[in-house]
Amino acid sequence: MGTILKPLYIAVSWVIITIHNLLSPIFGKDSGVSWSLSIVGLVIIIRIILVPLFVKQIKSQRALTALQPHMKEIQKKYKDDRQKQSEEMMKLYKEHKTNPLASCFPILAQAPIFFALFTVLNGIGKHPAVMHGVLTQNDVDSAAQAKFFGAPISDTFLGTNITTVKIVTVCLIALMSLTTFTTQRQLMTKGMPKMDSSNNMMLQQQKIMLYAFPLIFAISGVNFPIGVLIYWSTTNLWTWGQQFYVIKRNPTPGSPAYEELQRKRAHKNGEVNTETDVAPIDEETKGQRNQPKKKKKKK
Amino acid sequence: MRKLITAPIKFYKKWISPAMAPRCKYYPSCSSYAVTAIETYGIKGVAMSAWRLVRCNPWSHGGVDYVISKEKVGV
Repeated sequence: MGTILKPLYIAVSWVIITIHNLLSPIFGKDSGVSWSLSIVGLVIIIRIILVPLFVKQIKSQRALTALQPHMKEIQKKYKDDRQKQSEEMMKLYKEHKTNPLASCFPILAQAPIFFALFTVLNGIGKHPAVMHGVLTQNDVDSAAQAKFFGAPISDTFLGTNITTVKIVTVCLIALMSLTTFTTQRQLMTKGMPKMDSSNNMMLQQQKIMLYAFPLIFAISGVNFPIGVLIYWSTTNLWTWGQQFYVIKRNPTPGSPAYEELQRKRAHKNGEVNTETDVAPIDEETKGQRNQPKKKKKKK
Repeated sequence: MRKLITAPIKFYKKWISPAMAPRCKYYPSCSSYAVTAIETYGIKGVAMSAWRLVRCNPWSHGGVDYVISKEKVGV
């Protein structure tokens, strides 16, 4: 296990140290700000690497426009059989070599990095400190006293008596729960093509989100160093922002957000003279008005 | 033993996945697949589930993919 993870320790610690060295002249070498922002930087780099995957997924969601008549047909045909409905839907996606669903990969890909960060930060918090990856004694000493809102970034809720650490942990767990909740809620209410899921299911989902997520985050969060919680919160925030942008600017065809955008654009077009208007907007509005015609867009 | 392995998956299915938007590219989803595979094949089912998770990646097109029932394999 150690030999597999060693390259990851090196990569994670190298990224953190490099960003830390860049930030040191601004915030100071031993400042908690430089160390916390190094972790934030690690998140940003990983999420930027994952952006192409996200774009790919968005593109295949766009391709659904062409499939909408088929999808409606399936929904109508198997109204009372959810299993058959999902089955046929998946067949349709496969046939057209497009799939709007993200798969677990973006989450699973982050798991080893998350684990590596956990180990590296835990090492810093040990007495005496354990140096993983490219960390030197100097780095470890500096990082061990670095504070995030007064709480040492390598401390855990369970491993300390400092009240500040406990308060900061609770705040971060709350932030994690909140971002997960809003992200999922936004996606379900606005971002997904309307399915005839019953109200009952929606309610159940929201209940679970309200109780289960904070609970799960709390149970795992008390064992994690503050730095890992910073990583987790930041990556959640990024997910939320990314999704917010897409739902506003580039929503999935058939979703409530899509319809809203179309209405807005149609409205805008009504005021501005259509002939002098910018071409792409014009085209998209037209596409919405007589959708069946626009099938040629599908490649 | 099989119950022990599927318990966390069932917990996930009951409490975690309903709260998240659907994301699996396959039908049945990877977690349902895993439960069926482990209940029919035991340890081998664990490997099958792992392989399913690997197949469910951004470059796959998904589709309908059930666990092959034991009777069928026997023939």
